[in-house]
Amino acid sequence: MTAHEIEEYLAPMRHEFADPRSLILPALKFAQGESGWLPAEDMAAVAEATGFSQAYVESVATFYDRLYIEPVGRRVINVCVTLSCMLRGSDEIFDHLTDYLGLDGEGTTEDGMFTLAKVQCIGACDRAPCLQIDSGEQIGPLEPADATCLVDDLREQPAPARYER
Amino acid sequence: MAEHDDGLIVLTINGREVRAPKGTMLVDAAKAAGIEIPIFCYEPRLGAPIGACRMCLVEVEGMRGLQTACSTPVAPDMVVNTESEVAKDAQDGVLELLLANHPLDCPVCDKGGECPLQDRTFRFGPGRTRSLEPKLHFPKPLDLSPLVALDRERCIACFRCVRFSQEVAEDGQLTFQERGDHTEIATFSGDPYEGRFTGNTIDLCPVGALTSNPYRFVSRPWDIKNTPSVCAGCSMGCNLEITEREGEVKRLTGRPEPNMAVEEGWICDRGRWGYPALRSADRLQAPVLADAVGRRNVPLERAVTEASGLLGARGARVGILLGDAVTVETGFLAGELADRVGGGTPAMVARTGIPGHGLGPIRALPGAQMDDIDGADVVLVVGGDPCTQQPVAELRIRKARRAGAHVAVIGPRPTALDASCEALRTTPGHLLDAAAVINERLQGSQRAVVLWDEADLAAEPAAAEAIARVVAATPGARAVEMCADVSGAGLRALGIPAAGDLLGALEAGDIDILLTIGTDPTTGPAGDRWAAAADRAGTIIEMATHRTGLTDRAALVLPMLAPLEDEGVLVSMTGRAQRLRPGAREAAGAAAAWELIVGITHRIGNPVPDRTPAQAFRRLAEQHAAFAGLDYRAIGREGAVIAAVPQDPGSPAREPVGDGLLIVPCAPVFGDAVAHRSDALEAVREPSRAALAPAEAERLGVRTDARVRVTTPEGTAVLPLEIDSRLHEGAVYLMVGDPSSGAARLLPEDRGPVRAVVSAAAREEVGA
Amino acid sequence: MPQVNSVYRHREFGAPLTTLADYERAGGYLGLKDALALTPDDALYAFHRSGLRGRGGAGFPMGRKASFLPKDTGRPTYIVCNADESEPGTFKDREIIERNPFQLIEGLTIAAHAVECERAYIYIRGEYEAQAKVLDAALAEARGAGRLGPDALGEGRPFDITLYRGAGAYICGEETALLESLEGKRGQPRLKPPFPAVAGLYGCPTLINNVETLAALPPIMHRGPDWYGSMGPEKSPGTKIFSVSGHVLRPGNYEVVLGETTLRELIFTMAGGLRPGRHVKAVWPGGSSVPVIGEGSLDVPLDYESLNGVGTFLGSGGCIVMDDSECIVRACHRLAQFYRHESCGKCTPCREGTGWLARILGRMVAGEGRGAEDIRMLESLFGRISGRTLCALADGAVMPVQSALELFPEEFAHVAEHGSPAPAPMMGEPVG
Repeated sequence: MTAHEIEEYLAPMRHEFADPRSLILPALKFAQGESGWLPAEDMAAVAEATGFSQAYVESVATFYDRLYIEPVGRRVINVCVTLSCMLRGSDEIFDHLTDYLGLDGEGTTEDGMFTLAKVQCIGACDRAPCLQIDSGEQIGPLEPADATCLVDDLREQPAPARYER
Repeated sequence: MAEHDDGLIVLTINGREVRAPKGTMLVDAAKAAGIEIPIFCYEPRLGAPIGACRMCLVEVEGMRGLQTACSTPVAPDMVVNTESEVAKDAQDGVLELLLANHPLDCPVCDKGGECPLQDRTFRFGPGRTRSLEPKLHFPKPLDLSPLVALDRERCIACFRCVRFSQEVAEDGQLTFQERGDHTEIATFSGDPYEGRFTGNTIDLCPVGALTSNPYRFVSRPWDIKNTPSVCAGCSMGCNLEITEREGEVKRLTGRPEPNMAVEEGWICDRGRWGYPALRSADRLQAPVLADAVGRRNVPLERAVTEASGLLGARGARVGILLGDAVTVETGFLAGELADRVGGGTPAMVARTGIPGHGLGPIRALPGAQMDDIDGADVVLVVGGDPCTQQPVAELRIRKARRAGAHVAVIGPRPTALDASCEALRTTPGHLLDAAAVINERLQGSQRAVVLWDEADLAAEPAAAEAIARVVAATPGARAVEMCADVSGAGLRALGIPAAGDLLGALEAGDIDILLTIGTDPTTGPAGDRWAAAADRAGTIIEMATHRTGLTDRAALVLPMLAPLEDEGVLVSMTGRAQRLRPGAREAAGAAAAWELIVGITHRIGNPVPDRTPAQAFRRLAEQHAAFAGLDYRAIGREGAVIAAVPQDPGSPAREPVGDGLLIVPCAPVFGDAVAHRSDALEAVREPSRAALAPAEAERLGVRTDARVRVTTPEGTAVLPLEIDSRLHEGAVYLMVGDPSSGAARLLPEDRGPVRAVVSAAAREEVGA
Repeated sequence: MPQVNSVYRHREFGAPLTTLADYERAGGYLGLKDALALTPDDALYAFHRSGLRGRGGAGFPMGRKASFLPKDTGRPTYIVCNADESEPGTFKDREIIERNPFQLIEGLTIAAHAVECERAYIYIRGEYEAQAKVLDAALAEARGAGRLGPDALGEGRPFDITLYRGAGAYICGEETALLESLEGKRGQPRLKPPFPAVAGLYGCPTLINNVETLAALPPIMHRGPDWYGSMGPEKSPGTKIFSVSGHVLRPGNYEVVLGETTLRELIFTMAGGLRPGRHVKAVWPGGSSVPVIGEGSLDVPLDYESLNGVGTFLGSGGCIVMDDSECIVRACHRLAQFYRHESCGKCTPCREGTGWLARILGRMVAGEGRGAEDIRMLESLFGRISGRTLCALADGAVMPVQSALELFPEEFAHVAEHGSPAPAPMMGEPVG
């Protein structure tokens, strides 16, 4: 992702913010859309496009859970484990997925296909236990078998054109 | 009753009546009354309080919950309790929590013994550790830069270093990453923290998270002696503190009680880490006598006797050349010596540096102190580059901009301020053209401060005069001269002239003995001329801290103390007389220049009455109007501003000498001799180089990785080339770094305008 | 037990109202019409008169908050809608955005008229990307129809809304942290004062309200503040949406008139009650950050004052129900992990204290407790963490655990000695 591409993306919204600093977060999300995470070069491009220091941009990026400065899989499976989901079996869903994906807890599969993550409440406690692929629709209530079916379906799908995480 | 006649607000803290000006934060009001409220994140020099560490929680009657004393302003009739059970529990509690993940490795921590976290834990904290939980671990220590080490486990996330980087130095490099208890200090992608002020983060750190790499494991607080002194690295005159152990300077830090009128506690990295130069390999350790017997070390007594013999000889025509960074006492005593040498033939006394003809009107402008910049509405930088030449001034200028001042940087050089201020690039040699825009910027201002560069305006007296006129016509405008030399202001105030006439006399064969004090004229402007001229004098006597180009030719070499070892007064660029205090004595065979001079006058048989710098200062204050009424003791730790002295009108401007491209000289302090002698500064020192605009380089057919031959009437140097699109065409920017590179020698003796022929270096020169 | 779908107009209508036409057919934009007939000051007074309180969690009277905004400052006034719905157990705003987005847009437009604002921001949590897309489409449609844009407030008065997406940080639901995040900074709470009403976004006067609060405005303006104020108790009038989750058979959102429904009715009648044979053990009635209450408090009417009366808060209305199949310490540990993860790290007590709590509870659950010593440590830490920080996150981390320890001392003591029993979550139950 080049600074120029980011600038073009930001251009129509610039006038909406009194301080260009506000553009950093949209720029980071946009930049992440390309490779699904934020390599240092992409953060540097965001810095250049917004006019803030690279360190500052990285500082902002690392504050937020859904901006990744380390590589993640083609799809990120976010399993909610907060109280409402726990009460309805989120840990079992998570454990089942780790087994199914051959992982030892949170992490990325060897083939780079999936990153499995425990996340905090995603605002879908009525669907508990629930999960979210990237920042897509909250899916639930799930049983362990549903979760693995979901993984199988995802495996069949092509990589998203743009990552929304 | 709450607001007193004196405008002070009256409140009660711990049952005591306390008065404080409106707007004072409780923590400061308490401190003034002798009540300590513990703090970590509070540091007014970093901007408005942030209330993050929660260490300063106190009880305020009528307010719900506990308040942070750092962010609660005093109010009439406020009743504050910092020692109630609740307040004490809060203090104890915050400390307990701060220590929950702290490694408690004080015995192996450089901060141990002088650590605010340690001190406050003893005073306000829990007596014992209750936490049995495992602590968080991080890889440690990391080199944040070659000079600063980071131990993330010790960090208490107080924001101080981050705020310094973001909001004071504005370098944007140091930030927090992650959040919660994983919050960590970091740079982008683990890059080194680069900058001119990085060391201040060490001083700011209230724990041992940021420490000095060169000071790592060097000493413990109970083994050291700290002495307040002044940095002689540039004309800013920043106050600092010297840490001595076993006779060596082990560390320099910003002064814990800053001089708010000068440096506000900040020092630059060149100032902080220059001290290893005191013990560089070329430091002169013992006197050397060269006579018919041969060249040999002699005891200091003998050397002084020999010096007096040479200098006192009837009819000897003596020239005394004072270098940069000598105290006013040394300058004064050199004048006293001049009257006592040659058996009645007075010596010529001169200083290296700029004659300054034509600077009379601009020097007559009302002077400003650095803290006047804080309240300025317009700040103009005319010529020079404070960011590289008087670095700490940059921080003050940035502060003014943040406070709303319009800051414009006007001159031929790109500066670090350009990105955040108005940058008006002038054609080299044409500062006069800027007078109109300066006038424009000053319109309507009420508290403008104009910082002007001595070297640039001395080279263009017409510009100096025009700008002086404009500034003088602006009500409330004041000026700061950014002096090129550390001792320039002080020696000028003593009436000591620049060295042009002395050089002429040497060349004319009118000088028999050249006495140099703290200078190596052979590496400075017109260095080749000086070397040849010195040879014409039959005898060279050298007082120097380090080997110079004259050392091997000198009949007598007297090792001299460096400013960090010496005592006396330096006058800063704002005319502030401040006292050097000796931090250590590293060269066993060396003595202070003033001591040597006093000794020589005794041996000559016509002793000066002074035995200390204090006594010399008293006499010089009686004799020199600029220092009238100043008292050595009263200068104390804040310094005192000397009076302006009338300037002689001098001779008119001269045309540039030589052919080719006009030289724009740049003399960054990170490129000076001390920076090159200090191994600590190896990674950040500036090399000499010639810099050109891309079009100019193309015209000359030279490429970035090439070396170029630069020739002026003063000589030739082969220097690395830098191509920089921010530079003007028609000029060569001469970055003066390593003294051995010969770059400075290309400049004329008066440092006035000079042209240079630049060409690609021949193959055999490239290896040089 | 009246359920009134005032904010949830789509429920009244019987279908999602994701097109402007449907929304208008369901009575949408009548509120704005009525509001624009009033002067801004009169509209502001209507907010005040309705008795509407902030629905995000703090419950501060909305009209009073709006009246704190200084006028004629020569600087823009902003409205920021807090759609960072991240409080565990809370998902009421999600439904508004998903199914009734125009009511939020209309509410914002009404507020803009009252405080004379030209630009509002909706800060939506990053995890609500699917919902943000619905809102994006609605905003575009409103803009296309002139409901937003150069003449949105009539008489050439412009108003528009910017949707701003967060990126995963609970703390950004705290209003000053939200402002920091919206300004492109790390979402860390600010020192107050100054309060956002005076110096909020970009240092300008700013009104910050929750989605539900703003979405309540259209019916208030259309049916009148007195109609709204007449529902429920005097100090807590109007309707409130409760999100019910946990061990209930019909988790979901329920909009009720405040004070006229009890917690028991909410759980058993609306949310379908528990599995057979199970009893309510613990309820966090206002999101996870409020003190937990037990079975004995189930008959409390759902309104601000009544819930305060039983030692807890109405909060966000995120009602988490736990039955007697789960260990209270395990639940507390899970919440402690949440707060530890979400602490922004600015204030010492929260940064260090939330982790400490989580570690102690984690050991207890794992059977590595130190008995009474751990209980004493917990008790002493509560007071050292809460009430000593810039924002309420630390208080929210302490309250559920502290109240649980008070309510279930024997269980805590037992777990501190012997660990938690193996979990037996409710799974595969029908959700209705």
